[in-house]
Amino acid sequence: MVKLLSKFIPKVATIRKTVIETYNIKTVYLEVPHDFEKPMPGQFNELYVRGAGEIPISISDITEEGLIAHTIRFVGTVTKMFTELKEGDKVGVRGPYGNGWPLSELRGKDILIVAGGVGLAPLRPVIREVERNRSLYGKLMILYGARTPRDLLYRYEYSRYERIPDSEVLITVDRGDENWTGHVGVVTTLIPKVDIDPNNTIALVCGPEIMMRFTVKDLMARGLKGNQIYLSLERRMRCGVGLCGHCQVGPLFVCTEGPVFSYETIKRYFWVEQI
Amino acid sequence: MTQDKYRYGTELELRKLFNIIKEKGYRVIGPKVIENVIRLAELKDYSELPFNIEDVQGPGTYKLVKGNFFRHGPDSPKKFLFPPRLLLFKVYDDWTIEIPEVEEELIAFFGIKPCDLAAIKAMDKVQGELGDPYYNTVRKNLLIVVENCVEPGETCFCSTMGTGPIAESGFDIAYTRIGDVIVFDYDSELGAELLRELNLKPLDPDIRSKYAEVVEKASSKARADFSIEGLPEELELSLESPIYKEVTEKCLGCANCNMVCPTCFCFDVVDVPVLDGSAERIRVWDGCFSYSYAIVAGGHFRPDLWARYRHWLLHKFSYWLKQFGRFGCVGCGRCITWCPVGIDVRESIIKIINWVRSHGETSK
Repeated sequence: MVKLLSKFIPKVATIRKTVIETYNIKTVYLEVPHDFEKPMPGQFNELYVRGAGEIPISISDITEEGLIAHTIRFVGTVTKMFTELKEGDKVGVRGPYGNGWPLSELRGKDILIVAGGVGLAPLRPVIREVERNRSLYGKLMILYGARTPRDLLYRYEYSRYERIPDSEVLITVDRGDENWTGHVGVVTTLIPKVDIDPNNTIALVCGPEIMMRFTVKDLMARGLKGNQIYLSLERRMRCGVGLCGHCQVGPLFVCTEGPVFSYETIKRYFWVEQI
Repeated sequence: MTQDKYRYGTELELRKLFNIIKEKGYRVIGPKVIENVIRLAELKDYSELPFNIEDVQGPGTYKLVKGNFFRHGPDSPKKFLFPPRLLLFKVYDDWTIEIPEVEEELIAFFGIKPCDLAAIKAMDKVQGELGDPYYNTVRKNLLIVVENCVEPGETCFCSTMGTGPIAESGFDIAYTRIGDVIVFDYDSELGAELLRELNLKPLDPDIRSKYAEVVEKASSKARADFSIEGLPEELELSLESPIYKEVTEKCLGCANCNMVCPTCFCFDVVDVPVLDGSAERIRVWDGCFSYSYAIVAGGHFRPDLWARYRHWLLHKFSYWLKQFGRFGCVGCGRCITWCPVGIDVRESIIKIINWVRSHGETSK
């Protein structure tokens, strides 16, 4: 008899901490087994809720103690199960998967982060990395937008981002409320507000596909080239290891060749309807 | 083509081969008529092989009549190497994970066609090289006896895809039925060894020329009106073509084409709660035509059928080459036959190429 040690057997992780981020978003911090590979910023894990299903969720933080954070919006069957999960509960975890952000290419460069909604989650480890190794990178610009003030992620740590030397943090919402005194408008309306050096900047973009399209257009108009813009794509990454087929964008497997692509790599498919 | 290793004998020798393989302990799987359809199933006896049956295939049609030559039905080797449902693991409420086991058995495919042999080679690139443990366990001990196709069917286009009608390599034994004569070839040490147990003779000039004639006739029949030369590149220029909308006007999105395709490898994993409180995760076949295939919570990347058809066709004839270095289509024609509305991929390709040539982009 041969044991079917497939790539789909999860490791068991324990939830050590949860943070309610918004009315429909929660971050869970997982203690993973010692032999679990340390994730890189921009990678994702497959999280398994026993009996309910498995979902790909990007890694939104790795703490000093080695806890791996996942920021989860309650939109589908499995993510909604996370409303009930609390400290001490167990989940299955497989990963880390995907290529992650091109950290080595960011060395010495200005970093322009453009994020929409829950798209800030996979970029948070980049911000942490810049904070930790400040001298390795140039200027840090964070442009972040959400639908309403209620939808903003990690509001408690924007001042921490601002304290990173040589950083700029601009926040916007599509629609304000009675208490909102900040900028109103989609995230691309923040792009003219920052000083971008087109010769020395790498842009990292994550958000809804429509937001990324407008962002690419505006960044190109500001003089960035296709190989200076990186996008993290969302697809139905069922297996995470290039086997199940669901995440294909044209010939590209988002789970193994992405989720981060330079615009140069995917420009042929990026604008094609329902590719 | 070297025919020096070819040998011939009568049908008695083929029967003998079948029995030898069975005696060696192989579970023999081959074509067999079940409920008026040729299926691939375990064969207890040589007489179950449908040598007196012909399958009449056409776009959206399939029927069996009395005849001399069969091709295939909806089943392909995929069913055995990559089963439609496979338990991945079972997890108990204390998080004990139980990993299933598969028995290492000797399996022989007897009488599968060159297109299905090509499909196994395609799967070797996907499930094999990407390390599917079930696939590799079954594959390791697989004995393959191919029946070459002297009379390809109406939906066959293996010549065009370069996969048939005669198997060139990757089998243990391949045989060709030419009237009462059966020509044998081998492509492995095991195949050669098995043939040595039969009473076979080298081809004489008469049989040699008859064989050549039959092969030539079959090759010209199993041809579509397009060539694979430059096809992937040309098809990639059709991303914006409206032809996909036209072709899929009658498509039902049933995913039959995915299910019968011998190379379609996509799967989903479903969760099944068990009464003892445990939960199972089960791998099931999925296909890019199913509505949920490209859906995510809060969005859908391919809601329209024309886009799913475009993905399917470009995957088989273009993307596969980038991903796995070969075509994903083996020209078996099952997607044409088993399409309930008879959409013919050969026609679609011709329409798309014509569109590209008259409207296509000039830059890539």
